[in-house]
Amino acid sequence: MKKIFVLAFSLFLLQMSKGQLTINFVMSATPPSAITSWNDKKEVLSLFVSPAQGIQLTYKIKTEIKLSDGTVIGRTDLARAATYTAASTNTVYYAGDVIPLENMIFTGKYKTGLERTGKLLSDNYQLCVSLVRPTDYSPVADEKCRSFYLASLQLPILIKPSNEEVLDAAVANQVIIFRWSPVVPRQTLPVRYRLNVMEVLDHQSAMQAFRSNQPLLSTEIRGTTQYNWQVQGIINCCSTPLPGDTIIVPIQSASPATLAAGSFKKYVWTIQTLDQQGRALGDGNINGDGVSEPAIFYVSKHSK
Amino acid sequence: MRKKNQSLVLLMLLSTLAAAQTTTPKIKVSGTMGVNYEGYGLNRNPAGWTGFSQRKPWNQVRFNFQPTITTPKWSLPFNFNFATTPTNAFGPFANIGKQNIGQYISNPMNNFAVNPTYKWAEIQLGTQYLNYSNLSTGDIGIFGAGVDLKPGKFRVKFFKGISQQGINFFSGGPNGSYKRKNWMAQLGVEREGKYELSFNFAKGKDDVNSITSPPPGLKAQEGFTLSMVTKINFTKGWYMNVEGAQSLYTKDLAQPLTNLIKSFKPFLEARSSTVKDYAGEGMIGRKSKDFDIGLKVKYLGAGFQTVGYPFLQPDRIDYTVNTRFNAFKNKTNVTASIGQRVNNVSNTSLRAKQFIGNLNWFSQIDDHWSVNINYNNFGFQSNSGINPYGIKNVSNDLGINPTYTWSNEKMIHLLSLSYNYSKYDERDVLTGLITSNNTHTALLTYVPTYLSKDMTPDFTVMYFLNKLPGFKTSLLTVSSGLSMPAAKKKLQLRGQLQYTFSKNNSFTGNNNFIASCSIDCKMNKKLTWTNYLATNYFKYGNEIIPNGANYLESNFRTGLQYRFGK
Repeated sequence: MKKIFVLAFSLFLLQMSKGQLTINFVMSATPPSAITSWNDKKEVLSLFVSPAQGIQLTYKIKTEIKLSDGTVIGRTDLARAATYTAASTNTVYYAGDVIPLENMIFTGKYKTGLERTGKLLSDNYQLCVSLVRPTDYSPVADEKCRSFYLASLQLPILIKPSNEEVLDAAVANQVIIFRWSPVVPRQTLPVRYRLNVMEVLDHQSAMQAFRSNQPLLSTEIRGTTQYNWQVQGIINCCSTPLPGDTIIVPIQSASPATLAAGSFKKYVWTIQTLDQQGRALGDGNINGDGVSEPAIFYVSKHSK
Repeated sequence: MRKKNQSLVLLMLLSTLAAAQTTTPKIKVSGTMGVNYEGYGLNRNPAGWTGFSQRKPWNQVRFNFQPTITTPKWSLPFNFNFATTPTNAFGPFANIGKQNIGQYISNPMNNFAVNPTYKWAEIQLGTQYLNYSNLSTGDIGIFGAGVDLKPGKFRVKFFKGISQQGINFFSGGPNGSYKRKNWMAQLGVEREGKYELSFNFAKGKDDVNSITSPPPGLKAQEGFTLSMVTKINFTKGWYMNVEGAQSLYTKDLAQPLTNLIKSFKPFLEARSSTVKDYAGEGMIGRKSKDFDIGLKVKYLGAGFQTVGYPFLQPDRIDYTVNTRFNAFKNKTNVTASIGQRVNNVSNTSLRAKQFIGNLNWFSQIDDHWSVNINYNNFGFQSNSGINPYGIKNVSNDLGINPTYTWSNEKMIHLLSLSYNYSKYDERDVLTGLITSNNTHTALLTYVPTYLSKDMTPDFTVMYFLNKLPGFKTSLLTVSSGLSMPAAKKKLQLRGQLQYTFSKNNSFTGNNNFIASCSIDCKMNKKLTWTNYLATNYFKYGNEIIPNGANYLESNFRTGLQYRFGK
């Protein structure tokens, strides 16, 4: 009986010396590949530290990012990491605290990639977190690991009408076919594509029109990447060539440079990609609004 | 006495100047100004049905004032374009209602600019859309001040201002934005048509304290881009254009400074959210009267971002070869391009390849016949993460357009047939099954031109068929237009009628009737009054609920345009 008591007490002491705090954390299995954007997304990562019971304790958060084979590709520089004091209530930390990029050390191509793009390469990773003493970095809480997959999301690319394509007004006044590439990689749930077309008025640049004009078409498409727009008179381009007009080439082979002033109309279009809840998809792009790079097309009946 | 002499000399000088001014006009004014009103109406039936949305603002008034005052040494171009009702759908101004003066001026729908120019020196004031190069800045409007100096072969440009105002976000209100201050500069040498070497700098930084209610998810940002452009035109039409650029972009100014990423002081101090990457573009080719050929390559690193092109899609490389040639005494004209675009270049497992191929062949066979053939192919292919099949989308378009023209003493007739076959294949990433979306479009146009009369009618019939598994859409459109002058050619009239019958699957058909007319009136040599009226009636069959829903859309525009100068 005495032996059992000694053994149990020893185990208790060992446990006390190793981990006086308990941690747990939840993490998205497919977070955005732009690791620089994790900071402001609470749903990406939350670390819970249980309250310290009657002890005064300080600690640092030790984080390691590993490949699926266990190779460490990034870790916290503990010498520079922030020191926290254990609170008497539960404490929650988010990505900015757990993975403070200014105090993380990455290796090789992961370092280069992160500096260039703010993203880690597309792969399966593990994030392991523990708490350590600020003095000797000995653990004060057990390490917890979570796996995640990073895939660099690519917004749709506009295919048809291609940038600066000239459409024959006789057809375009009736119907225009729009095509774009799907979001890569394919999302678990179907995404919502919002197709927008704006007219570029005289004296406007395409980007000015895009940012200021009411869309002539703003429609949502799910499950496919083509839309046939029945224009119904809203384009109404342009007058039939008059006897005095010189027609050198048919409109199908015209380029924007060969269009006579006043003989065409100009439009800008794009796709905005949204998730099921209507939130913009994107991966750390400047605007964060899920808008693909817009393209211009022209509608004309004749070229000079 | 001395004062009197001085006064006399001054008087003589002034009178000489005045005489000189009356003999030759020294100040010229050219350009235009005008005002346009556009009204839009939409009646939907039955009441309460919202299946069709408004496509234009109910009322909009647009003003343009673009005179250029020119003296022998100075020119003073104005570029004022502004509207009464904000209609922004994207960007910080989307859904904005009332605007303060700063917001009104910097709203991209309004433009207020004056560019006084003296010989080689131009002062830029107001809203300017300045394009310095393809990789530095060119897509944003900035309200501010700057210069564009071209003394001899030297080029010095500088502009500083605000590209967006601080706009607070609130639910149901505008998207909102931080106030962004920008500057840009260019230093270089240029001999027009011969060579150009320039260094471009573009900087933008959000003012963190400019708003109290930032839009959710949007962080204050900062970006700096440096680029070098070289353009050389050789003899015999050969040319080469190269641009290389580096960008530093901080995605969140709230994140701490870091030494792990190299700063570019004094332009940008790196933070933990800063990325630094490169981009390059090159073109080489030859242009001549009957033959052009060119190779174009563009690379944008995955972290390349510039405030001057906010929608630029990074992480890609594309290369295309373009050619154009004329043959058979210029009766045959061919343009073609072939190339590839690779997206997600930095990500080997999800790299997406896009094939680009275009061919257009036009031949004037004889005095009557001409034919145009065009073919386009765009193929998109990528892995799809953990799905069993990769993404593969292929778009093919083939168009044939023969035209027959004949004439007699009274008329010239033009008959044109255009047929287009479009096939779009999409592969399902789970099953590997390919869905084909096939479209046939046939268009027949007849345009008789009277040699002794001024009226020009045209007649068009179009059939459109789109089929994909489980879905079929067909459209038949008949339309006719008539253009003619009236009132001693002071009026130019044009009217158009169009009827479309469309049908989806086995639902009953939809009927669409469109009528439009335009009346342009030349009031005098300088003043033109333009009018346009259109109405669009659409009645659904039973494909939507409520059955028989319909709407009447109307659009009215009227405007006065005045032309300065002779």
